[in-house]
Amino acid sequence: MVGAVGRDPRTLTVPVALRYAWLVPAGFITAFLLIPIAVLIGVVADAATLTGLGDIGLWRVAGLAATQALTSVLLTLVIGIPITGLLYRCDFQGRRGLLALATVPFVLPTVVVALALRTLLGDVVPQGLGLVLIAHVYVNLAVVIRIVGARWSRVDPRTVAVARTLGASPLTAWRTVTVPALRSSIGAAAAVVFVFSFTSLGIIAVAGDGTVRTLESVIVRRTSVLLDFPGAAAAAFLQVLVVTLVLVVTVRTRSPRTVGRTWNPRPAARPRTRIGIHASAIVVGVMLIAPLATMALASVRVDGAWTITWWPELLTGRIGVGSPQGALIRSIGIAVATGILASLIGGLAAASALAHRAGRTVAGIGLLPLGVSAATLGVGTLLAFGRDPVDLRATGLLIPIAHALVAVPLVIAVAVPALTETSNQRGLVAATLGARPLRAWWTCYGPVLRVVMIAAGGLAAAVSLGEFGAASVLARADSPTVPVLIERLLGRPGDASFGVAACLSVVLMAVTLVLVGLIDRLGRQRGVPL
Amino acid sequence: MIVRLLGAVLCGASLLACTSSAPQTAEPGSTVRLLAHDSFLLSDEVLASFTAQTGIEVQVLAGGDAGSMVAGAILAAGAPTADVLFGADNTLVQKAIDARVFEPYEAMERGTITPEIADYLDTDAVTPIDYGDVCVNIDDAWFEREGITPPASLEDLTDPRYRDLLVVQDPATSSPGLAFLLATISRFGDSWTRLRENGVKVAGSWTDAYYSDFTPAGGERPLVVSYATSPPAEIVFAEGTPPARPSTSVLTDGCYRQIEYAGVLAGTENPAGARLLIDWLLSRRVQEDIPLNMFVFPARSDAQLPQVFTDFAAQVEKPEQIPADQIAMNLDEWLARWDEILGR
Repeated sequence: MVGAVGRDPRTLTVPVALRYAWLVPAGFITAFLLIPIAVLIGVVADAATLTGLGDIGLWRVAGLAATQALTSVLLTLVIGIPITGLLYRCDFQGRRGLLALATVPFVLPTVVVALALRTLLGDVVPQGLGLVLIAHVYVNLAVVIRIVGARWSRVDPRTVAVARTLGASPLTAWRTVTVPALRSSIGAAAAVVFVFSFTSLGIIAVAGDGTVRTLESVIVRRTSVLLDFPGAAAAAFLQVLVVTLVLVVTVRTRSPRTVGRTWNPRPAARPRTRIGIHASAIVVGVMLIAPLATMALASVRVDGAWTITWWPELLTGRIGVGSPQGALIRSIGIAVATGILASLIGGLAAASALAHRAGRTVAGIGLLPLGVSAATLGVGTLLAFGRDPVDLRATGLLIPIAHALVAVPLVIAVAVPALTETSNQRGLVAATLGARPLRAWWTCYGPVLRVVMIAAGGLAAAVSLGEFGAASVLARADSPTVPVLIERLLGRPGDASFGVAACLSVVLMAVTLVLVGLIDRLGRQRGVPL
Repeated sequence: MIVRLLGAVLCGASLLACTSSAPQTAEPGSTVRLLAHDSFLLSDEVLASFTAQTGIEVQVLAGGDAGSMVAGAILAAGAPTADVLFGADNTLVQKAIDARVFEPYEAMERGTITPEIADYLDTDAVTPIDYGDVCVNIDDAWFEREGITPPASLEDLTDPRYRDLLVVQDPATSSPGLAFLLATISRFGDSWTRLRENGVKVAGSWTDAYYSDFTPAGGERPLVVSYATSPPAEIVFAEGTPPARPSTSVLTDGCYRQIEYAGVLAGTENPAGARLLIDWLLSRRVQEDIPLNMFVFPARSDAQLPQVFTDFAAQVEKPEQIPADQIAMNLDEWLARWDEILGR
């Protein structure tokens, strides 16, 4: 940014209430992440875990998984950043729809995504590392688009214009003006994509060819096939270690910058550019829709002919694995609860990161659930809160809590940069005019925080809609969520099983699209395109 | 605890004493929690019948796949998250028994269980509830079209005539895949080189193999590892009017028999209710409800099978089996060996 303004030396007085705000996210994370893990360690870890860490094979898996994850990150950035520019910097018809669409792959159950990609690309790309990478790029595009886009919309387009006027080529202007402004958001997105790809499980199983492994797949194999718990603990420990390292590095290199307002995308002036933009938009749209469309197609086809047989089955329930409507209502309810919980916890963590050293630590720890294996967390939660003396299973709270844990890091990843980049000028003015600290603080950060919490809460709700791992372990069997129902259907033969699963996948996509669309709209009304 | 154990021992010693005392100690209005895997399913009215009979509420808790569920139960041994566990199969059950997950209980009607099923594991820690055979399924239409005779034995799968036609699942991630591994071990030992040379494909999951690689789903492989009951399921879950016969059949040689067990979880808060639930799972009503819901065979010999089962489910005369304690001892090594040879 040309003449970027540094943080104002005068700092806003931290309101008393905020000084203790970090206690809430800290308490939540301690109760539902650290305690379950501690309980689990107490049960399984012994001397064999330590010897397990000396296993060369395990380190090899970690090394290969890291290489795979780095490649996934690079590909996702290379493809994702231009799309982000298209979606946040250029205005064209269908832009918002495309933005919502890009979020859908991220929240669909991985089995559905992997099956769709195999159907679409099976003949061209054989199962293996190639297909795994494609699948990782496909599901993680949303991460790059959302995180980098939120920052990009706050880069003053006039700075680029100034650079161009002064003779910089488009490439030089991009390199010297835009990239420095985006750097920390790209870093944050890269870290999240790395962690998702490094700990990937479902995609590895379906799109891989058995030679592609992650520590997560080793953990699952050791816990649920070999029942070798000390060995699984060693793999889980190594995974947490790598992820923590990556997160620490990311948090350390994060450079707070103060930026001003957000800039709405503008339609291109020159007709030739306009055509280029529309063409790119169509390419991106096709790329995003094609895998989803194979599922939509499967929901209306049987044996090469068209049919609408499967859709009424959603209502009749002949399929017998549980009521689809019930599952849908349940999933939406859980998603709403998750959205509220995750945005409150994540928002408080982000706000206290601004105010307090302890808060910054909490915000850092809040990213940790990203790296804790879902299998580990599920079993730990059951041991800690699924039996006496604290049995939360019957309350139905365990799933929203587990989903919130998964989503809090995303909320933090979106909220912390947005808050640290907000200028505190308004707050200082308010303080000068006699506002009390809390009032001054809210004048300054309130509007941003509110919007960010709504948007990130929506993202959390979307994540919850598609989550499978925790829900399959923590739910009541007679009250499955939609992804659990889809997996159950896909787990047995018969045209109806597959057809109805395809219908449910389409419903899940539609609900996600509507949800994300609503959130975007809300954000827009509040003046922040997210 | 000691009192409970004593009770269990008495139960084992004298069936009579147990049958007369259990219903009295089970409190109507109490709840019994059944931990079950993803595939557990019974008709609503059958589920309701337990409460109608005993006055005890039954709450079914999801345990994920069978492996994760048993893993969770082992970690919680002695202080369980439920009262009864259903769905530990014979590849997993021995380790659970060794970890003292279960409290012994001999079901009232244990005598009704088909002898081969009852004899596989000699213990009253768990009760066999159902069984299913994992077999290679054949896309008959494909073989007819190509004018090739379908394979007739497990050995045939290494015949060059059937080169590149078979898809199996990774035993490390899929339960039928593991069963196929055990079937081949039981027949040939851990030598999969000939299978590899004959172009076997290893998929990541059953869903993947059946809905992507298997020819009826548009894939390229007309032979898939699945269940002896897949053909009837194909009829039951067909579109519109069910076809007269399924389009797939079962290679009944070299099938691996999976037996699913239920047991009272040691440390349960409702032992009497838990025992009643085990008895109920073995009752004719539940046993006859099992086939069309879970697509496996009931353990009880006198349970009536639905028509579609007697017509189309393959009856496997000589299934392959490996003693549970041998599996518990060697599985690690076998999986490593499979990886070496077939490491997809």
